[in-house]
Amino acid sequence: MSQPSPEVYERGRGMDAHNLVMRELRGKRDDTYDPSEPTRVWLDEDHTPDGIQQSLTIILNTGGCRWARAGGCTMCGYVAESVEDGSVTTEQLAAQVEYCVEHERSQADSPAELIKIYTSGSFLDEREVGPETRELIAETFSDRTRIVVESLPDFVLADRLEPFLDAGLAVDVAIGLETASDRIRHDCVNKYFDFIDFEAACSTAADVGAGVKAYLLLKPPFLTEEEAIQDMIESIHRCADVPGCHTVSMNPCNVQRYTMVDELFYRGGYRPPWLWSVVEILEMTANADAIVVSDPVGHGSDRGPHNCGECDNRVYEAIKAFNLDQEPAIFDRLECDCLDTWTMVRHKETGYNQPLVD
Amino acid sequence: MTDWFEVLGRDGPGRLGELRIEPSLNTPAAVDDVVHDGGSLWSADREVPATAADRLTILPHRGMPTGTRAVVQEAFTPESPAVQGPTAVVVSPEMAANVGADAYVLSGLNGLMGDARRFIGAITSTRMAIPSDTALYAPGVATPATLPLMVYAGIDLVDRVAAEVAGMEGRYLLSDGASPIDQLTELPCACEVCVGQDPNELDRASIASHNVATLEAAIAHLRDRIRAGRLREYLEGQVRHIPWLTAGLRILDAEWGYLEPRTPVVRQGRLDFTTDDALRRVEVLRFAERVTQRFIPRLDDRPLVLLPCSRTKPYSDSPSHRDFREAIDYRAHIVSLTSPLGVVPDELELVYPAQHYEVAVTGRWSANERTQIADILASYLDRAEYPRIIAHVPAEGYRAVIEQAVEEIDGPPMTFTVDGHPRDEAALSALREALEGTMRYPLERRLDAIIRGIADVQFGEGAGDALFETPSISGRYPRLRVDEDGEQLATLVQQYGQLALTLAGAERWLTTAIPVRRVSIEAFVPHGSVLAPGVVEASDDIRVGDEVIVDGPTAFGVGRATMSGQEMVESSRGIAVDVRHVRERR
Repeated sequence: MSQPSPEVYERGRGMDAHNLVMRELRGKRDDTYDPSEPTRVWLDEDHTPDGIQQSLTIILNTGGCRWARAGGCTMCGYVAESVEDGSVTTEQLAAQVEYCVEHERSQADSPAELIKIYTSGSFLDEREVGPETRELIAETFSDRTRIVVESLPDFVLADRLEPFLDAGLAVDVAIGLETASDRIRHDCVNKYFDFIDFEAACSTAADVGAGVKAYLLLKPPFLTEEEAIQDMIESIHRCADVPGCHTVSMNPCNVQRYTMVDELFYRGGYRPPWLWSVVEILEMTANADAIVVSDPVGHGSDRGPHNCGECDNRVYEAIKAFNLDQEPAIFDRLECDCLDTWTMVRHKETGYNQPLVD
Repeated sequence: MTDWFEVLGRDGPGRLGELRIEPSLNTPAAVDDVVHDGGSLWSADREVPATAADRLTILPHRGMPTGTRAVVQEAFTPESPAVQGPTAVVVSPEMAANVGADAYVLSGLNGLMGDARRFIGAITSTRMAIPSDTALYAPGVATPATLPLMVYAGIDLVDRVAAEVAGMEGRYLLSDGASPIDQLTELPCACEVCVGQDPNELDRASIASHNVATLEAAIAHLRDRIRAGRLREYLEGQVRHIPWLTAGLRILDAEWGYLEPRTPVVRQGRLDFTTDDALRRVEVLRFAERVTQRFIPRLDDRPLVLLPCSRTKPYSDSPSHRDFREAIDYRAHIVSLTSPLGVVPDELELVYPAQHYEVAVTGRWSANERTQIADILASYLDRAEYPRIIAHVPAEGYRAVIEQAVEEIDGPPMTFTVDGHPRDEAALSALREALEGTMRYPLERRLDAIIRGIADVQFGEGAGDALFETPSISGRYPRLRVDEDGEQLATLVQQYGQLALTLAGAERWLTTAIPVRRVSIEAFVPHGSVLAPGVVEASDDIRVGDEVIVDGPTAFGVGRATMSGQEMVESSRGIAVDVRHVRERR
């Protein structure tokens, strides 16, 4: 960890301020959820180190992220999907797993090879998911090929991955790194750990034969479009260089309720990234030694990554295609008048005149 | 404190200035070509960049987008290092403070476009938080339509970015707003890009070029308007095209504490009152306030004759008023009723802006005008003791206003002497008749009332009696001079209706209870002017155009302020006072 310095002091103040605001914003929500059902579950297909596989994605409702209770990340509204008093029992989690299996059985022809489990927090945090549930899930999906579990780097420990490895599954840990820049992660995202912690988690995972999928955030608040693009390109290359990190998922920031990003957006101080930026980054990092994918959630809407409205669907489809085949040539044919606007925004947007366009 | 910017002229809160880099730039100006951005501290730690005399260096910053809470801003606002050379510091409306920069970059304005109240509030609160002699830069928001209100509110520096981006989005800009290019049938512009072109043939880069050319023309036009003292007249018309800008002007007009100190007590340009917004102008309200609260009616032992205003100014020069005066023949006190100033007592017909305005005349007043004039007339009458009122005014409009005012204060008996036109022989006869048997008052009394009345309005309530005991007034109106005990105290400046004091007059001022507008200077004897750096202290209530006393350890003088008192104290450059008379102290 870094040495004490005025910078650290300043970071402390900044974190206090961000947390204060985020706690207040989160406090405004009053919706609660049934803890015997998962937050969401869906079927899809994914690009994995073993090629394209059918996937079952599960968002478990675990009571939410420990960091979010302190305030948490400036863009993250997933905590709003947690249960009211924050405690979900082992029995309730078992019911959620059963619900997902049932969902897959009714919707899919065959069981998915890839299972992805998110919690809007850390699946490997024992305060969220106890050892019994881990064992249950490892056992439930032991007939599959690969499992992805979401966690902050702190909880990436050998013993927590063992049940899955012992079940014969290929294991990936999805870590919300957001950016390789500690400065941006601290000051713009308000995430407390450092890149060095991510590297350590990758190393731990690699030591037991697991992989890491890094989740990066395109355009946290306070960055210009160009800064966001450069930060993302730099971050992808740095992640790809970390042993154990084989996939990078770029998440273009979308505006979620009860977050600082939402408040900025509402007041006119935030615009989600352009889809052209996503394309640019995918092109610029096509040579990186990692699979780079992006699912622009909320694409084409004001609150999600968008271009001018005319071309959003075409560009989104190209990005989806790239996710599967990693072929940047698909982007060559994309054209729209708004490319010039985006280019000008890249050149002219500054920290003090942003957002330059809606 | 800045060496790199100087305010050269003012028209209300709008300013004409000079960014003193090499080569220098007349402001308001677009600064795209001379700004060097030191970069955002959100994305990286940054060295303080080297400054240079040929550019304005923006120190490394954390811009605060609209909606960033104060607690976050406080935690993340970086320290501003002291740097030599021309520098600008990024501030937000909430966190703006004097940090010793030459210019301040207002972040977070983009999110406020269209929100008149917050947009105006952001500019005025920032302007008040930073020294008045520093430049204020509004980045990324200037278009030919938004620019005039921004400049009027106090923005000195802008850029071409918003105009260029609009072009790239296919929006064609003019001073009355934006049109999507595909909605234009022909191009209403003859700039290099547009001349002979069809809208369909214009590519987006060309639209951007047109937009920039239009913006540059608008900037030059505004500079010229400020020079001429006629910015407000242009603005009142221009904002009409876009509702939120009209709202912005009205919201700004309600900021008396911001506008009044920045509005000169006299200016060279003519005032044109052509919209209802003119009713809220500082010049109008200030005049009404001074007439109803400072001015003492000294001829109110006579009947009051209310007259309509005339187009020719001063009123007494107009053919209509000559007729009226001939009929009145110094038997009554004359007060003219006018929109939007309200009432102009005869003594004050020269006082700015009573002889400096033109108004759109239709013979009909709007409800707002009627209310404002009736209110002013009522407050005026409330402080006077006229035995009776003769209303020699057209029946339409005026009559109802007068009745409303007189009723409101339960005023003296009233006669109306006009049935048709006030200049009809019948009307003039009725006027003569109404004054039948009333004694004339001597010329000396009239001149005495003029001098004292102007002194009241200029220096404060009761100043006319405090400054002059038994004045001897010589000359032929309007060229008057005031002597007392064989010594000249003042001259009436015909052009503005102000008294210019002599040193003896200034000394007399010091002996009265009337608050003195004093500029304390360091130990030097000013010749011609006092520059701002030489000012030690200045009364808060000094406005541009005010008569001021210049007072220092080695000099005593009198002159006219060319900055407000606050500006004199805050500024490190520029002329603070034009000194008329000075003597060395021993």
